[in-house]
Amino acid sequence: MNRETKALPLVAAVFITFIFTAPIIWMVMAAFKTVVDIYAVPPVWVPDFTYLENFKVLLSDNWPFLLNSLIVTVGATVLSLALALPAAFGLVYFQFRSQNFLADWILSTRMMPPIAAAVPLYMVFNGFGMLDTIPALIIVYAGFNLPFAIWVAMSFFRNIPREIIEAARVEGCSWVQTFRLVALPLAKSGIATVATFVFIFAWNELLLALFLTTREARTFPVVISSFSTVTRTYWELISAATIIQILPPVIFTIIMQRHIVSGLTMGAVKH
Amino acid sequence: MGEIVLKDVHKAFGDVSVLRDIDLEIADGEFVVFVGPSGCGKSTLLRMITGLETVTSGHVLIDGKDVTHTKPSSRGLAMVFQSYALFPHISVRDNIGFGLRIAGLPLAEIADKVAKASAILGLDALLDRKPRELSGGQQQRVAIGRAIVREPAAFLFDEPLSNLDAALRVQMRIELVRLHERLATTMIYVTHDQVEAMTMADRIVVLEGGDVQQFATPIELYDRPVNKFVAGFIGSPKMNFLGADATADGKVQVRNGPLLSISDLDTARVTGPLTVGIRPEHITYSHDTGDLKGTIVVEEQLGSDAFLYVEVEKIGMITVRAVGERNFHSHQTVYLTLPPQRCHVFDQADLRINMN
Repeated sequence: MNRETKALPLVAAVFITFIFTAPIIWMVMAAFKTVVDIYAVPPVWVPDFTYLENFKVLLSDNWPFLLNSLIVTVGATVLSLALALPAAFGLVYFQFRSQNFLADWILSTRMMPPIAAAVPLYMVFNGFGMLDTIPALIIVYAGFNLPFAIWVAMSFFRNIPREIIEAARVEGCSWVQTFRLVALPLAKSGIATVATFVFIFAWNELLLALFLTTREARTFPVVISSFSTVTRTYWELISAATIIQILPPVIFTIIMQRHIVSGLTMGAVKH
Repeated sequence: MGEIVLKDVHKAFGDVSVLRDIDLEIADGEFVVFVGPSGCGKSTLLRMITGLETVTSGHVLIDGKDVTHTKPSSRGLAMVFQSYALFPHISVRDNIGFGLRIAGLPLAEIADKVAKASAILGLDALLDRKPRELSGGQQQRVAIGRAIVREPAAFLFDEPLSNLDAALRVQMRIELVRLHERLATTMIYVTHDQVEAMTMADRIVVLEGGDVQQFATPIELYDRPVNKFVAGFIGSPKMNFLGADATADGKVQVRNGPLLSISDLDTARVTGPLTVGIRPEHITYSHDTGDLKGTIVVEEQLGSDAFLYVEVEKIGMITVRAVGERNFHSHQTVYLTLPPQRCHVFDQADLRINMN
């Protein structure tokens, strides 16, 4: 290839990347603009990045909801891992009747769109007096992610050579010890993968949070959506909030990335 | 102690019966090898003794105690797997001490026992490495180390040497035999390699198609195989089988071959079509005289032995093992003689009818 044709894919890649990142770039710039600058024509291309008023206003009123989001997300991630990992281990290693049916049935619960569960969930939590509470959201998010988490964890456990699990059993391990001392450490990248997906789901979830919270337990996405009102859309606040919203998943994913990559490609080639 | 008894053990996977009527008594301290072709059920049998596989019916007893429904962790056995099955996330030291830690031994005692085992196996320099940093032979040693520190009632080996190269396999074979002498613990060893079986075992269980064909010492299997399967399975190269018929006066007529007068046959059973079996090393051969005339198709010269594959007209291929022979080559004519006292005779049911 000569230099021109070599450069072509690069130019195309930069262009496509730009198209995909343009909204985020626009949003980042808007977050540092005054309301007047946001609506200015021609646009203010480079904002004053020392202008932090939008963030100050946003956080002074809404930091408890950011904290809600964090608690709900971490809680849902921990709860779904705590339930999914033992369940997956059991489904892979215990032999019982209708083992496969149970695994398929767990997955089938995921075929329903979440919105279909919204009204029933509302009524159930209303009955328990749990509407607008953080535990309600943790339970719902963990629950929605369980099928997926169990299935991913199962594939990781399946990839542990069976003889290693058997060796642990012969060496005197109970099932609990086998799970804790052998299976979990060997499924580390699986756990990271599952945790990341659940974390991102729970952190970004809006629909069910809108249904199940009204004031106290509102999560950050609900707050962001509230900046778009019938009378006015607060672009400066939406932009600032969105930057805050996308930071934790980005950081979390970067930390987990090494594990996730090995997790997603696991078993693709013979070691 | 490590006396292992199987009583009328059956195993079926669904409707498929894989092991039938298994009755074995393995004495304490004995080295027993389960040998057989792939799919004969030998590994399944071993796994039923460890408890990794359930028993469909029958009983497994260790030192007189019925452990048929006891979980693997409570049977006091140690197993060495074909893949070694080391725990990849912990060091060699922790791998060897794993079972002791699970058993809740004091740390000092664990360290002491691990040190002793690693000294025996020459693993001292490797204790802090992870399993993946070791060669196959070293991993094998670690797996054995993990087994011996626990001082189990019996060691179970599932084709432990099949992943090693030939030279290392021979070396590990000798080491295992010495280890057995030193520990005097019951060992049960599964292999499909009859050389391993013959060289290591006190007694061998030959399995085929889910049935025990014969349970005897290696020499017994070689000299007095109970049936055609055992005769063909034990020995290398394989025993030659020739079609034959009983004559009215109790002799054996090889079809298109010599009339054999074999003295030790169970005369009542010398009837109808028979099979004559003779080991390649028992056939005598000559350039100019013999019972059968054939042509050497292939000569495999090993130096110590020459394997001659001889095509005999109307009979087929006969393998001859010529010890130290250098004077017979491909395409030459050769005359073969079957010494009657070396012939095994099998009836229509493939059972051996020689009396000794």
